[in-house]
Amino acid sequence: MLEYAQFVLAPQIVTGLALGVAVILVALGLTIIFGLLDVINMSHGEFYALGAFIALALGQVGLPFWLLLVAVPVLILPIGYAVERGLIQRVFHSEDRHVTTLLLTFGFGLVLEDALRLTFGPNPFKPETPIRGTIEILGTYLPLYRLFMIVVGGLIIAGTALVVYRTRLGAMVRAAAFDRNMAASLGVPVERVYAGAFAFGVALAGLAGVLLAPIYSVFPTMGRDFILMAFTVIIVGGMGSIGGAVIAGLFLTQVQAIASLYISPVWTDPIVFAIMVLMLMVRPQGLRGRLGHA
Amino acid sequence: MRDELTIKSHAGYWLAALLLLAGLVVAGVGFATGDVFYLRLASEALIFGGLALSVDILLGYTGLLSLGQALHFGLGAYVSALALIATQSFWTAMGVALAAGVLGGLVGGFIANRVRGVYFALITFGMAQVSAKVVYNTRSLGASDGLIGVPVLDINFGFFSLSSASPTAFFLLALAILLLLYFLAAYLLDTPFGRLLIAVKANERRVPFLGYRTATLRLGSYVLAATIATLSGALYPMLRGFVSPELLFFSTSGNAVITVILGGAGTLVGALYGSVLLTVIKSVVGSWTEHHLIVIGLLFMVVVIFLPNGLMGLIQPGIRARLARGGRR
Repeated sequence: MLEYAQFVLAPQIVTGLALGVAVILVALGLTIIFGLLDVINMSHGEFYALGAFIALALGQVGLPFWLLLVAVPVLILPIGYAVERGLIQRVFHSEDRHVTTLLLTFGFGLVLEDALRLTFGPNPFKPETPIRGTIEILGTYLPLYRLFMIVVGGLIIAGTALVVYRTRLGAMVRAAAFDRNMAASLGVPVERVYAGAFAFGVALAGLAGVLLAPIYSVFPTMGRDFILMAFTVIIVGGMGSIGGAVIAGLFLTQVQAIASLYISPVWTDPIVFAIMVLMLMVRPQGLRGRLGHA
Repeated sequence: MRDELTIKSHAGYWLAALLLLAGLVVAGVGFATGDVFYLRLASEALIFGGLALSVDILLGYTGLLSLGQALHFGLGAYVSALALIATQSFWTAMGVALAAGVLGGLVGGFIANRVRGVYFALITFGMAQVSAKVVYNTRSLGASDGLIGVPVLDINFGFFSLSSASPTAFFLLALAILLLLYFLAAYLLDTPFGRLLIAVKANERRVPFLGYRTATLRLGSYVLAATIATLSGALYPMLRGFVSPELLFFSTSGNAVITVILGGAGTLVGALYGSVLLTVIKSVVGSWTEHHLIVIGLLFMVVVIFLPNGLMGLIQPGIRARLARGGRR
């Protein structure tokens, strides 16, 4: 029994946790964008792929991994800012904002994905793991890189929550999410906050791409499979809720990790989806309240 | 009664008749020149037009954006392929697909209609992705290879029969079935049921005050759309001789959404024109670069921003004005 926990369960939980942290980073971006702008960003998965590809290209030039963790999000920020100001704002005030912005970001995702294919080709790349080796904790051998992911990802998630809930900037973001017009009339630069939040959200997705690139292969459509999990997380957690995304992200990836010990991994997706449908039936608003409202 | 909506649907009938005429010309030219490739391509455009038609019923009428309509299209394709391999009968395949369409629509509608707005888009997306993954990994459904070896059919219409191996005959069959589905949808959406769906789109909270159950209306529209998608999908294995899990993937659903937006949402006939347009763009652009997604993505974004009514928004006003004048005379 103890051996089972040591050699099967514990590594699986840690693997799930590492994936969970990456999922939360992606979902956090989606949920902030939805909470603030009321926009479902369908190109989010492509920004995740963009992050992985930029890391791949810069890594080949010889940049060290720790620098990539900073450089990639910084490079994606202006792209996200430009997309928000140049595209989303164009249809932001249309009659059916949800559908129009969803369609527009979907179109942008198509272009981005094909641009990646044009630049890097359709075949998958497998970057080297930057931190090799394992560590023994209580008789369980754990890969160091996964632990590194959990620590780095956890710090970024905590940092994001800290900024949103404990700083003046975060107060402006929450104010803009709660009442756009009121915030604007109190001097909050709402338009810049919106674009900044979008840029920040897609940069988080790019960062998740950097972290996951050494574990999964890097290919242009890599965001497609991943994005479903992120959508599920923000629906279960409550659309536009940061705390909800963290709880749901950890919970759903653990369900997936542990269930795949007992059943074929193919069937873990329907289980996670069923949890989402059940959640929508019992508590359609999700676990936690929307950004700025709770 | 000739109100705005009646004129709009009549304009649609005229455009559908025009499509029929163009289809007959294509079939004639194709038959005369012995063409195979373009007739097959045109048949495929029509089949995917059926999928787009079903997306438009949900999006353009009921105001529900489905990002997973490929689920029903793929269901039709797989069910039809299985039935064809087992029985070699066109009518059995279509009958089974009809049943699968209604049943799948009831189940899918039951799940997806618990929510509205963006949640509906995400839940349909999820349903299709999960099903695609299951099919992709199910050995008995051919897994990632799909089902191959769908037989060539002799389709018996009582007094004459068609072979699915003949490109012209199959193109005409696809044209007939798709226009039939179009007229069925257009007729149903012109009845009080259709008017109520438009009311749901305009103001869902108000509809119950008029004495109607929105849940039933939304389910009805979902089942109608799902059935049309399933029946269109059922034609796919007859055309190509195989089905693959790609038919269920998001790219298929996404293409249908692009088609509807290009053609013009809420026009029904726009979905068929959009599908033809998209196929033409793909083969023209595809002849000089394999990266046609960039072109289509950019075009799509331009249409979303500048032409909210798509292609039909450009040509329908003229026809409508003509019909309105005719009505007064």
